[in-house]
Order: sequence, then structure tokens, then C-alpha cells
Amino acid sequence: MYQQTDQRMERLGFIKSLLVGAVSAPVVFEACKKDAAAELAEDTASATNTGSGTSTSSCTVAPTETEGPFPTKSPSSYLRSDITDGKTGYAMTAKITIANVNNSCLGLAGALVDIWHCDAEGNYSEYGGTQMQSTNYQSVHFLRGRQVTDTNGLVTFKSIFPGWYQGRATHIHVHIYKADGTSLKVTQIAFPEGSGSAVALVNGYSKGMSGYTYNKSDNVFSDDSTGLQIASVTGSKAEGFELSIRLSVSA
Amino acid sequence: MKVITLCYRKVIDSSSETLWEKMVFEDSYAEFRMQSQYFDQEKKYQHFGELIQNVPGAERLHFLVSASVTGYITQLNSLIPDVLDNQGRRFLKFHNYRFEIINSSMKDISKHQVAINFFSNKLVWHDTVADQLLISEEIQQDESFQTHLLKLIPFLSIDTLKV
Repeated sequence: MYQQTDQRMERLGFIKSLLVGAVSAPVVFEACKKDAAAELAEDTASATNTGSGTSTSSCTVAPTETEGPFPTKSPSSYLRSDITDGKTGYAMTAKITIANVNNSCLGLAGALVDIWHCDAEGNYSEYGGTQMQSTNYQSVHFLRGRQVTDTNGLVTFKSIFPGWYQGRATHIHVHIYKADGTSLKVTQIAFPEGSGSAVALVNGYSKGMSGYTYNKSDNVFSDDSTGLQIASVTGSKAEGFELSIRLSVSA
Repeated sequence: MKVITLCYRKVIDSSSETLWEKMVFEDSYAEFRMQSQYFDQEKKYQHFGELIQNVPGAERLHFLVSASVTGYITQLNSLIPDVLDNQGRRFLKFHNYRFEIINSSMKDISKHQVAINFFSNKLVWHDTVADQLLISEEIQQDESFQTHLLKLIPFLSIDTLKV
């Protein structure tokens, strides 16, 4: 009996010493600083492990409220066909077929396809200079999306015709994965050029085409002499454009 | 009158216990594994820290992986988790947040550690009572403020101050 009490006292003392250590640790006051270099260094792992916000708050009141809301499994916000997110521009539907060179170039079903491209002004969605995110969580990842290929290896995205930025021809980034998330291919889709092409019709939106980099001068597409990366693009500004391309992977 | 915003940095790792935390942990890890392959196509690195140090642009992974937790953030209904007033209720509202990867590894999920920084709406800091902040939402009703007493727990800090 006495022994038990002693053990309990010892344990209490031990817990108290832990608490004092946790409370006095400078990490509390540094927690919201964005010193990326310090946080990312592998050797800080043990320091940040000393307390997850919940476990070290035992010196304050415990939650006293009705349980809930109950979390439900929620897929990545990339998983959608319409990636427009309110971005304005000429409508564009992108139909991308993934073919498997290890299976007579037949369509690869069940592959994950990520695409991303810039908006009409040539900007990508990303964290800006500010520390905070905008109130509309859903639109933060504009013009980025993920789809799963159907039995024919096809995915379809609804978006806008991309703008352009210094040093690059108009393009769409593509990352193709196996169903388990293993990377199969990272590539980019180029657009046909010349009179009557969609690139010519859109004419760089408000930027115009002064200073535009064409495919032959683009550092990614310049060695694509056979045009394997160039999509077929039809349509008009009024009706919207339809892009289609077949990309081969070894799966 | 002092107007403050608070920042709560919620760290989530393999020791996290609630269902919500586990979902954020697992889904952000799966997304990290997918997205990091873009930055290391030759498969030279295993750890997030190595990518950040060696691959230009790899810091975009914070943003790119954040899409995997958007749905879970929405499920919080704009209420910062874990932070309770002295009556044991969650009350701090947020509209802004920032997801960050602290550490991760392509081959070892136990190394995965992320944080979500929740930024509170503007609050009036009226006074300090014992070790608690006496704060209220900025809106005044009938010339009195609906106040809360709040203790600054670990990982909760004052982010901005306007005197």
C-alpha cells in the first residue's frame, strides 16, 4: 500500500517535471515564427516532438462540450474535373489519353493524372508572400486538378485556355501516376502555332504576343522535333477550345 | 484598445490520436509522396529536408501538399481546434490558415510531421486576469462586450498586435 503511494508520488513528480520543462521551453514562443530553415532541419525533429498542442495543455481546462463535428474521409481537393475556380478566360476542355507502351499502346485504366497550368495573366496558384491564405479555401489551388483514367485511359478536364509568361511557350504540365501514387511520367503539353491556331486566336489575352516564346525556342519543347508533345487544339474563342492528346507511359 | 490576432500551430505527427488528426496525417503523407516525386525525378533523396536543401522550388511542396487537407480544414467549421476558453469551450474563429510540412520521408511514414497554423480573426485584448487574456470579438453589442478568458497554451501565440 505504502509502496503504491510512493510510486504514485514519484510518478506525479516526474509528470510535473515534464510539464515545467514543456512550459518553459522556448518553442512555445517561437511556435508561430516562420523560420523555415530551422523548422526544416532534420535535427529539430526531437524539439518539435516535445509537445503537440493537445498533449501539453493539461495544465488548462479540459474540453467540456458536446462531441463533434465528426470528421469524414475527404479526398484531396485536386480531385475534380472542373479546375477553373472562377478564373476567367476562354473555355477549354482538355481530353488526355494515357497509353501503355507495355500493352500494345492500349489505354491505361485507373492511372492518376495531375495537370496544372497558369491563368490568363501567366500566374500559377501558389502561396504568395503573405503568411496567410485567403478565405476561400477551395479556390487556392486554381487551375490544378487530378482525375483517374477510365477504361480507355481517358481523363477530361474543364479549364480555361492558358496564358503565357516570359521565356516559355503556352503549355500544360502533366504528372501521371500509377493508382498507388508511384510516378510514371512527368511531361508537358505544347500547343500548335501559326495562323488560325488557338494560340494565334487567343493572342496572349491582354498581354498580346510581344516577347512570346514559340515552341522552337522553348527550352522544353525545342527538341520535340516530331511534335509528340503538341496537342490537337480545335474550337474558337466564342465556342471554347478542345484540346486532345495521347501520352504514352511504360506501366 | 489593443487588437490582436492569435496563431495556433497544430502539429500533427505519428503520435497524433484523434480521428481528424489521423486523417490529416495519412492523407498529407500520401500527397507528399506523390508530389515530391516531381521534384526528385531521379529519386536521389528520401527526406523532405534534403529536397528543401538541394532542389530549387521544393518549398512549393508546402502549398502543393496542402490540397490534401483542404477538406478536413473545411470540416472544422471555422473553429480553431484544441484552443479552449476557461469554461472549456472552443470559441476562436479562423478564416486564414497555412499548412506546412515540418519533416517527412519517402520511405518512412513515422518521420512525417506537418503543422497547420490557424490565424484567428481580430480580437480585442481588454485586460489580463491572472494568467488569462480577457478577450472579445471586435463587435460591440449594447455597449458591453461578450468576453472570453483564454490561457496561452503551448503552440498558441499572439500573431499580430495593433495598439
